[in-house]
Amino acid sequence: MSKEYIGEFEELILTLVAALKDDAYGAAITEEIESKLSREVNLSAVHVTLYRLEDKGFIKSELGGGTNMRGGRKKRIFTITSAGMAMLKNIKDSRLKLWNMVPELKIAAE
Amino acid sequence: MKEQDQIIPHWVRRFLQLICPEYLYEEIEGDLIYRYNRDLLKHNNNKAKRRLVWNAIRFFRPGILMRNNFTKGLNYQIMLKYHLLVAWRVLLKNKLFSFTNVSGLAIGFACCIFITMYVLDELSYDQYHGKAHRIYRLLHNSGNLADTAATSNNPKDYDVWGNAPVGVALQAEFPEVEQVVRFSGRARTVLRKDDKVFNEENIFIVDSTAFDVFSWKFVAGDPQKALAQPNSIVLTQSTAKKYFGDENPVGQTIEVDAIPGRINEASTCMVTAVLEDIPHNSHFTFDVLMPMSMFKRSRPGVFTAWGYVDTYTYFTVTEGFDINVLHAKMHDFTRRHVTDWSYNVLIEPMGDAYLHSEAKRQPGVTGNLSNIYLFSAIAVFILIIASINFMNLSSARSMTRAKEVGVRKVSGARQWALMSQFLTEAVLLSLISACIAYLIVLAAMPGFRTLTGKALGLELLFMPGTIVILLGSAVVVGLFAGIYPAAVLSSFLPSQVIKGIIKASFQGAVLRKGLVIFQFTLSIALIAGTTIVYNQLEHMRSVDMGFEQDQMLVIDYGYDGRVQSKIDLIKDEYEKMSFVTSVSATRTVPGGHFPKAGTSVETASGEMINHAPNLYEVDFDFIEHFDIEVVAGRGYSREFPADTAKSMVINQAAARLWGYPNPEDIIGKKFSQWGRDGRIIGVVKDFNYVSLHDQVEPLTLRLEPKWSTSFLALELKTTDFPAALSQIEDTWKQMAPHRPFLYSFLDDSFNRQYQADVRFGKVFGVFAVLAIFIACLGLFGLAAWTAERRIKEIGIRRVLGASFAQIISLLSADFMKLVAVAIVIATPLAWYVMSRWLEGFAFQTEIRWWVFALAGLMATLIALITVSFQSAKAASTNPAKSLRSE
Repeated sequence: MSKEYIGEFEELILTLVAALKDDAYGAAITEEIESKLSREVNLSAVHVTLYRLEDKGFIKSELGGGTNMRGGRKKRIFTITSAGMAMLKNIKDSRLKLWNMVPELKIAAE
Repeated sequence: MKEQDQIIPHWVRRFLQLICPEYLYEEIEGDLIYRYNRDLLKHNNNKAKRRLVWNAIRFFRPGILMRNNFTKGLNYQIMLKYHLLVAWRVLLKNKLFSFTNVSGLAIGFACCIFITMYVLDELSYDQYHGKAHRIYRLLHNSGNLADTAATSNNPKDYDVWGNAPVGVALQAEFPEVEQVVRFSGRARTVLRKDDKVFNEENIFIVDSTAFDVFSWKFVAGDPQKALAQPNSIVLTQSTAKKYFGDENPVGQTIEVDAIPGRINEASTCMVTAVLEDIPHNSHFTFDVLMPMSMFKRSRPGVFTAWGYVDTYTYFTVTEGFDINVLHAKMHDFTRRHVTDWSYNVLIEPMGDAYLHSEAKRQPGVTGNLSNIYLFSAIAVFILIIASINFMNLSSARSMTRAKEVGVRKVSGARQWALMSQFLTEAVLLSLISACIAYLIVLAAMPGFRTLTGKALGLELLFMPGTIVILLGSAVVVGLFAGIYPAAVLSSFLPSQVIKGIIKASFQGAVLRKGLVIFQFTLSIALIAGTTIVYNQLEHMRSVDMGFEQDQMLVIDYGYDGRVQSKIDLIKDEYEKMSFVTSVSATRTVPGGHFPKAGTSVETASGEMINHAPNLYEVDFDFIEHFDIEVVAGRGYSREFPADTAKSMVINQAAARLWGYPNPEDIIGKKFSQWGRDGRIIGVVKDFNYVSLHDQVEPLTLRLEPKWSTSFLALELKTTDFPAALSQIEDTWKQMAPHRPFLYSFLDDSFNRQYQADVRFGKVFGVFAVLAIFIACLGLFGLAAWTAERRIKEIGIRRVLGASFAQIISLLSADFMKLVAVAIVIATPLAWYVMSRWLEGFAFQTEIRWWVFALAGLMATLIALITVSFQSAKAASTNPAKSLRSE
């Protein structure tokens, strides 16, 4: 497993690319973050992060079709690579491992 | 779909295109439109628009921009490589065109480099002193209390040469004056070390503070002690080498003959220090320094006399010094010390001494600011002429390349791509020229040194900064010269040019003609200017100087007391020689150095009025010997023994100074000068004893047949100069064996005053030749192109029976018209500039009409030869050949 780490926002985007599957492109991901997480993000920030993840080899992209909503412009559809998937799993495992160390009591109290 | 395209405002789209990499642009635009449509569901149209613009602008971030630069840079590199390749092929394909342009531009650049070096050198004067910006000097003005010139504030009325006590008083009374150094007027005497005897003509007697003020570099010795003791002496490196060879001179002794008027007895001095040779960019230089204490010991009176002029005064000031504050105090200061006559001083920064000082009696040669401007202008003109060649030839050739442009455009080249290609060609050409110019400069440096008389170093050429600036300017010149042809070429419409419909643009032709006229105007003006400079030089040589200067041998014995004591004997000895027609001993020969003397003369109203006219101290024979015309009264004569004590001869200017426009009227008036009272016995014509730059100033000729003399002037009448010279030298060695035989010819040394003018004329001439050469290169190229374009027309004309001469005149007439226009423009221009230049001379040559006729004729001839060479080639082409293919 590569020693590379990714930041929080990168992780978020990567997860969404994995989740949205064939519909993972800049505007959709932005919308998803805004609706699901109620978090204000700028379109350009999402784009830049996507390109960076692509540079790191965690996602790959190809041009998809256009829709009327986007004035006929093509989408760039991102899909997660196996390296990206491994990275996501790794993050999830290590988070879980750490999570298990947190005393049960607190969870029970919740 | 159409209205969707309008969603993003035009400028935002342009902005996005600019910042986004091309491969990302479409999806980004799509996402933006998508966001906008989503926003429309929630907000009104305006807000959605605002958000859209904001979102778009937010793409201006490194994550996007950096992607962009990387990939695009790669693209540019490929294009550039391609452009260079094409440019190189074009250069090779059109050899005549390339040669014309490259050689013109290279010469233009070389001129610019040379002139820049010259100008930088001129501007660098005295800057090497560590305290340069804190060094100032005094300018002095003395005169009669009633004399208006004496109260003027115009530096032109002031001398740098002044009295000795003022410096000491200045330092004592003004705290802002830090350190004062005085030095005597330039002295000369003989130095001896065993058998090595040389006449040193470049000696200054200075205060020991000299090295605190000026930062000359020491090779050996201690600056603090070098001039502290009397009988010490400081030499420059090359002077020391003359006497001591490779030995260490410090601590050794050297015999110094008397320096009359300053150090009256011979002495044995110890060399205390050796200086590096004084840099050439100093407003005064010297070979030997001697301590002021020796001057003081020999003539203490000089150092308290405010009226005795023999020192230059320089001083350093404290930081924060304000020249105006000190100036304001100077009036009271001089009044406190001098009450008997009017005495004023001005303060001048040393930085102004070389180029900006207008005062007289400078310690060294000064530069000429207007020459710097003139030369810089000429360099720029030459470069412009060369750039015009490029513009003209490229735009003229545009027809030839029109098809190429058409094909490129059809294959998808945009206008800016074509422009960048043509600009690449221009810049490449310019860079090649710059490299050649650099080589030309290296090769022609010795010639340029001789031409300007400057010891310019090559260091400047090898500094990385210089090379960067040179290449940078080459790129700028390339862009400047290339922008017009590139714009014209890249604007052709492919549909027309490929069909072959290209009209020679009227504008283009007019511009080309205008530029040719401009080139020739400058060239003709330069030719006319050169002719006028040479006319003026010739005029100065031919002006009746009012004294005899031909075949006049001058022996210099530097006030040597032993020679003076038997000067009559020596004169007799020489007069006996058959080829010597007359002999005179004098303190000054025309063109040489002379002092001023406070002199009172009785005016018409009987009042004694004091002025300070120039002074020649002469013997009985001087006036007759130099064939100076006596216009009133008589010259000195041995028949009047009283002449030695009671008589004086003056010149017409002096008579006018005391208010006698008619010289007869001053004869018999009383005078008083330097302790001698008597009457004026004669007035001589205003002979030109200084350079013809200046009017003849008032002069008094004082009879001092022995103890003030320094030169022996012999008029020779012989054709065998070597024999005469050796005989004169033999006699000298018998009569004055201790004194080296130093001689010169009066006309040579007098004309040396015009060295700067001669040099100016030469530099001007060289530039004029270069300018016309480059202009002709351009014309040559244009003519070649015209001939080529009209080759079919010529063929048909030939077939129909046109003669060779007719065809040549057909092809040349157009160009000749341009030259004619240039002559019309250049004449008043050159006339104006040159008459301003001539104002610098008191004796001016007239600007004659034939100068312009000559310049015009020369330009016409040269242009005609250039053009008809091409025309002849075209005319002699066999029509069968030129008409064979269509």
